[in-house]
Amino acid sequence: MTRHGAGIWLMTLSLLLSGCVTSRIEQSRDTATAMGTGDAMVILGRASYNDRETEESFTDCIVDELSSGGNPITLVPQKEFKDNLYPWFEPRIAPTSAEDLSRLFTESGVRDRMDESNIKYLAWIQGDTVTTGKGGSMSCTLSTFGGGCFGMSYWEQDASYEASIWDVDKLTNAGQISADASGTSYIAGLIIPIPIIARPGNAACKGLANQLREFIVGGG
Amino acid sequence: MNYWRGQRTKCLELLCQIKTMRLLSVSAALVLLMLQAGCPTRNVTVAGSVPTPLVERIPASIGIYYSYEFKSFEHKEALPGSGSYRIDLGGQNLDFFRNLLGAMFAEVIEVNQPSVQEGDELDAILIPEIVKYGFLVPSVSTLTFFEASIEYQITVLDRAGQELGKLRIVGYGKAEGSMFGGVDAVGEATMLAIRDGGARIATELSPRIAALLADSEETNGLQP
Repeated sequence: MTRHGAGIWLMTLSLLLSGCVTSRIEQSRDTATAMGTGDAMVILGRASYNDRETEESFTDCIVDELSSGGNPITLVPQKEFKDNLYPWFEPRIAPTSAEDLSRLFTESGVRDRMDESNIKYLAWIQGDTVTTGKGGSMSCTLSTFGGGCFGMSYWEQDASYEASIWDVDKLTNAGQISADASGTSYIAGLIIPIPIIARPGNAACKGLANQLREFIVGGG
Repeated sequence: MNYWRGQRTKCLELLCQIKTMRLLSVSAALVLLMLQAGCPTRNVTVAGSVPTPLVERIPASIGIYYSYEFKSFEHKEALPGSGSYRIDLGGQNLDFFRNLLGAMFAEVIEVNQPSVQEGDELDAILIPEIVKYGFLVPSVSTLTFFEASIEYQITVLDRAGQELGKLRIVGYGKAEGSMFGGVDAVGEATMLAIRDGGARIATELSPRIAALLADSEETNGLQP
């Protein structure tokens, strides 16, 4: 088999083994937006002290999507931003609204530090991916004569995320974008286990990142 | 004759099987014992950035006493079903505090004794301590992340060595764990707990320390 043929075979196989995902993206805009030359944005995962919080992998995915492609956005890394403005963006103290942000700007040095980084927009990402249901059964055996898996098992996942975009210059809420995606994954045991995996978290990330790019650059 | 020979062979085979089974069970038990005995303590190294807090400095000259226990703090614990952990957080915690307290006051001097010595021109002495440290792993907490918490106490002494107050705060951190990343996740959660503790000291305790110093100044100023 040639390398070209192997590539097509792998692509077909991955398409066949990908589960279906349905997703919905919604947006509401409060003010017009635009990014000038040298302007930057920061993506922050909203941390909480309960048992559910935005996964680091999700914010990393949004950052990867926004900083790549044909129209990349200049992003300040979350860690660098939090270190520069320590302690004001730590989970316990971080502003929860654009009004809180204006209060924070009265603290010594905060406004200057923000201006130095050329940050025009802050996007807070909040949400998570949860398993909403699972079922089926599959058993695998292994013996000296061989082994195999029989049965079928499935699980449903629901990814729900929201981005709140704050305008740092105007100290207002620029808008919100929400992304919801759900999908069911299967593992069918036909001697060898065949996984058909749905990735709603990935779909929500791509949908949210594309809409966020359009929201910021598109202007409104 | 052949029947008896056959029976004897069968008996020998059975004996051999029993011996093999015994040997296997003994070997398995030995392997398990070796695994348990050889399972090393997990050494957790706490590392991370040491940010300088962006806060207004308190106009005071402060002496800080870091005890040996504070500088070399480490925590050892054996969790049922998760093995033993040794968390060495003293070094990173000390770096964090040096940077934090250095940015909170106009002048900071590290002192070797928890008291004001003759010739010292200090407004007060702060003695930070780690009162309690704890951590949780998913197999114990049944949650999906690793957690750590540190309880700090800061004792404030005036220039006469009188205690002005003891302030306590708790720093908390949690970190996602990967499949084989338990050690890293405990380290990360501990680092986040130090950061959280530092943030609380800079924002919550700082005004209280300033108020204690102002009260002390006022009282001392009124004395004849």
